[in-house]
Amino acid sequence: MLNLDNINLYINDKVLFKGLNLTINEGEIHVLMGKNGIGKSSIAKTILGDQNYKVEGHIYYNGEDITNLNIYERSRRGIYTISQMPMEIEGVTNAEMLRTVISNRTTEPLNILKFNKELEIICASLELDKSFIHREINVGASGGEKKKVELMHMWMLKPSFIILDEIDSGLDVDAIKLVATSLKKYYEEYHPSILIITHSSTLIDTFSDYHVHLLDKEGIIMEGNQDLAHEILTKGYKNIIKNEHLL
Amino acid sequence: MNKILVSDIIDLNNDSYIINSKNNKIVLNILGNVKVYLINEVIDDITFDVKEKSNLDIYLFNKNVNNNLVINIKERNDSLVNLNFSIINNANRELIVNNDMIGNNSKSVIKGRIISNKDLIKVIINVNVFSNTLNNIALEDLKGINNGGFVQIEPNITCLTNDVSANHLTSIGNLNKDMVSYLMSKGLNEQNAKNLMLKGFIYSNMDEYIKNLGDE
Repeated sequence: MLNLDNINLYINDKVLFKGLNLTINEGEIHVLMGKNGIGKSSIAKTILGDQNYKVEGHIYYNGEDITNLNIYERSRRGIYTISQMPMEIEGVTNAEMLRTVISNRTTEPLNILKFNKELEIICASLELDKSFIHREINVGASGGEKKKVELMHMWMLKPSFIILDEIDSGLDVDAIKLVATSLKKYYEEYHPSILIITHSSTLIDTFSDYHVHLLDKEGIIMEGNQDLAHEILTKGYKNIIKNEHLL
Repeated sequence: MNKILVSDIIDLNNDSYIINSKNNKIVLNILGNVKVYLINEVIDDITFDVKEKSNLDIYLFNKNVNNNLVINIKERNDSLVNLNFSIINNANRELIVNNDMIGNNSKSVIKGRIISNKDLIKVIINVNVFSNTLNNIALEDLKGINNGGFVQIEPNITCLTNDVSANHLTSIGNLNKDMVSYLMSKGLNEQNAKNLMLKGFIYSNMDEYIKNLGDE
């Protein structure tokens, strides 16, 4: 599904990574872990198509080279991200944005009643007041509400590859649980590939099976499964990375 | 909602009005709670004389109306004025607002959203709080987007008394690239993302009546 092939990544002419490789197959869940500032979000943004990053090498999505495609073109192919700090868009409502995106995907006229009903059902499942449907995107919303709004977008847009960039940061226990439940339900229904960037086990332990990649300055230095994630979370990045370098 | 044709001077009482002007210069006397809509109206000079204990909401929406406009507002005791204006233009244009607060216990809130697609839009806001007045409030919230053209805003509040609360916020910039990218990440192409943001910006201080007209 997604393949980062020998990627050299730069920002403002500064090298972030050399020779980075990562393969995520259809329906797989991958977790990217690493110290703060090591470049996890940069990788997420690179996959999304952020033009601030210069990429050498190739990014393939479903066999297609998407290295030179912009954010919109990648989004149209099903790549979607939820970041830890979703943008606030003054003057643009959630309904208006979603209506425009969905209308642009098809030549058939949008059934507004069905569209609104679907949004109301999604809001109810996310315990999000339905007034958010016609509210400006994330404007004045709390951290927890913003994540729920992003999940509402996800359910409506039905992406096939989802990047979750520390979406559990700043959420209380109940909110993380609700977000995790919604993601699991989406996964069971649509089987997307998911790349999770996180420092905690709450979200990832919702899923029974996942791949873990430990990122350091040299790139991905360790790979494993949930056991590695729990080892990292128990021992800390410093100890794990030190031991890895001693081997 | 009343649609009225105004030739020179008229009294407006406790209702909502869509103004069509017959002349280039008109005077509206405001009594009670009044809402006034000026939608793409070609006019040079309009005066609102807001009588005591009256509330006035003005919604001025101009898209590619190229004449210069002067709005004069005279506020007397215990009055409230909300001036909301949105201008989107592709040619040179000037808007001047003179809001005189000559009484006590009054409030003036001026909110403007301006997009220049070409050339210069110049907006000058003069709120004058007169001497020997008490307990007035003056607020200005003005934002402009340079979208191929330029916006210039002069926010002036002149207070000739100590008993006044005044505040202004003014910002001019380009469309926020991160916001455009965010909308593109949802599946909008760059132009659609920009259009949606510009539309949202220009209608953000308009009421449902004008927003609905925009949707049609």
